[in-house]
Amino acid sequence: MRPLPRLTAPPRRRVRALAAVAMAAALLATSACGGDSGGGGGDSAGEEVTLRFNWWGSDTRHKITQQVIDSFQKENPNIKVKGEFGEWAGYWDKLATTVAANDAPDVIQMDEKYLREYADRGALLDLKKAEGLDTAKFEPDTLGAGEFDGGLYGLNAGINAFTIVANPAVFKAAGVAIPDDTTWTWDDYARISAEISRKLNGKGWGTAAYGANDASLNMWARQRGESLFTEDGKLGVSKDKLAEFYTNLLALQASKATPSPEFTSQDMTAPLDQNGMATGKLAMAFSWSNQLNALSKASGQQLKLLRLPSVTGKASENGAYYKGSMFWSISSRSKHPKEAAKFVNYLANSAAAGNLLLAERGVPPNTEIRAAVTPKLQPADAASAAFIQAIAKELGKPSPPPPVGGGQVEKIIQRYTTEVLFGRLSPADAAQKFIDEINGELK
Amino acid sequence: MSALSALGTLGRKKPPGQKKDNVAAYLFLTPWLLGLFVITIGPMIASLYLAFTDYNLIQAPQWTGLENFTRMLSDERLHNSLKVTFTYVLVSVPIQLAVALLLAVVLDRGVRGMAFYRSVFYLPSLLGSSVAIAILWKQIFGTDGLLNQLITPLGFAGKGWISDPSTALGTLVVLNVWTFGAPMVIFLAGLRQIPAMYYEAASVDGAGPLRRFFSITMPLLTPIIFFNLVLQIIHAFQSFTQAFVVSGGTGGPSDSTMFYTLYLYDRGFGNFDMGYASAMAWFLLVIIGVFTAANFVASKYWVFYDD
Repeated sequence: MRPLPRLTAPPRRRVRALAAVAMAAALLATSACGGDSGGGGGDSAGEEVTLRFNWWGSDTRHKITQQVIDSFQKENPNIKVKGEFGEWAGYWDKLATTVAANDAPDVIQMDEKYLREYADRGALLDLKKAEGLDTAKFEPDTLGAGEFDGGLYGLNAGINAFTIVANPAVFKAAGVAIPDDTTWTWDDYARISAEISRKLNGKGWGTAAYGANDASLNMWARQRGESLFTEDGKLGVSKDKLAEFYTNLLALQASKATPSPEFTSQDMTAPLDQNGMATGKLAMAFSWSNQLNALSKASGQQLKLLRLPSVTGKASENGAYYKGSMFWSISSRSKHPKEAAKFVNYLANSAAAGNLLLAERGVPPNTEIRAAVTPKLQPADAASAAFIQAIAKELGKPSPPPPVGGGQVEKIIQRYTTEVLFGRLSPADAAQKFIDEINGELK
Repeated sequence: MSALSALGTLGRKKPPGQKKDNVAAYLFLTPWLLGLFVITIGPMIASLYLAFTDYNLIQAPQWTGLENFTRMLSDERLHNSLKVTFTYVLVSVPIQLAVALLLAVVLDRGVRGMAFYRSVFYLPSLLGSSVAIAILWKQIFGTDGLLNQLITPLGFAGKGWISDPSTALGTLVVLNVWTFGAPMVIFLAGLRQIPAMYYEAASVDGAGPLRRFFSITMPLLTPIIFFNLVLQIIHAFQSFTQAFVVSGGTGGPSDSTMFYTLYLYDRGFGNFDMGYASAMAWFLLVIIGVFTAANFVASKYWVFYDD
């Protein structure tokens, strides 16, 4: 490039330098303003306080959660709650980033998988010490999953159970009767699924492949005297059981009970309202009971919950347990722990919030709210609440919460399921690699 | 381009009497310099430190020496991500440059409405690494996607291109090739620099179009090819968005689209393993550095500078 012609006579130079300083200063000032505006309101009482509240979920959840926020703000004009929400997949990356940047949301919708991950590293507030948070009306068992090392780091936001969601319309289209889920076995499940696929002849399939999340493996293990994690935070599933899990999955695929591996691998990471159950391609899929509502809305069908099949044909031996569908946690670095606790208390214990949230996040653990809410439930939520009630006598012992590093298990199991379904790894090899990898992740 | 010309002026002595002017220049540059130090160099130094620590994002980092680097030696998923990335770079960049050169030569022949075509072809480069295009890609190559709808009536069996581990990376290669517009525009500029008299002289001597292309166009264009090659290789090594969106952030199916950058991100933000991720970032810097250096060394043997 040619050097620019020199236009300046010496006296003008000072003017130019001054202009440069002025501009630099102006720019700095602008950027400084930008940095400031992110801060919240003042701390002192009476002044307006802004809380940030994160959750993941479907459209249904976003809408009702926003309504709860609106109603909370109406009652507490000094507290503003800013909702931030997204899909499950991106949620955890975002949360990790904000926590690392010391910019964690005040109130966090937390999952069992990550609870210890954050709590053990001191990122969450001990809710026992939180002022104004009442757990007196909670069903006693429901607090346990969020409690460890003497503190309460996650408040149960709803009870759910791992189930099979069935689409009666697809059953009907295939001319197959919905099975009796109190007596069915895995063989029944395989036979019925294959029959549906055969009758639908390419327009749909009997069942989604299992192995898209850790719950299906945990249930498989629990039915066989093991569990995904042990009480002391180790991997609890043996290589044999894991290989069997995958051998059975391959048999389901061979009989066309499940869709093609391509369909399955796409379905695994699809958002809830775009997955095979929501689009009406599947007669059965594995899901958490509280998702019945969102799936029913997405599919436009009144879906039905079924107990998981068992080895023996006895529902009491199918490994079912009550899980905390999700938890409310408060960031330990929140500038407004008092207001955050007030908001969590509102979510958990106020009739107003209960009437809006209903059972979308699972059946309310606060027994009073549950009683008040039950008659108001919409068909889908009423069905999941009734299901939770119905299996109460069949439950096994609660499942130990995942140890630190357990948040990775879902992605890992999805990967090995894909490897097996595409025939890239044998069930035995996949089982060994899975175990090695999980042992490497757990801390 | 600017980077290359900047390189060229680096060693030159300053003309006398320009020092005072520099003060003003630096003052004007202050906002940019601040950004460079605060947003780029500062974090880089921090990440160099973190590369030697165990850092879980929440608690203070613990010094672990070379442990992260020795761990990389036995990390199978890391090796797989290197394989995926190298395949992607070595397949997509040559194809992309070949397509770009071909179209540049065609357009350079004075096609009517060239400005229009140039813009149309350049458009994918502007959009290529955007989230919107990656989502579009997911739709096109999905099980019920556009591609299957086009080929099934022709008698080909459709498939889930993105959800099959053997073809998923291929869709990303196609996406990268599709963004040939940026190198094409640079090629076009390069073609314009070749004096027409060379071609005229060659024609008089009876050289056909192919001969003219290989004996005149190619040699004179080698600096531009070299420039595009270096740039596109670096660019391809750093690809992230496409794979992240198309695979739903998993690098799947079965790690088949697990780019190095994606794995780095997954380790850092998904696994709370920022120390390891930082070590990976520095290793990537070394890889790109080696590739670029090798390119510069090799260029002595095939790049022809006409001055």
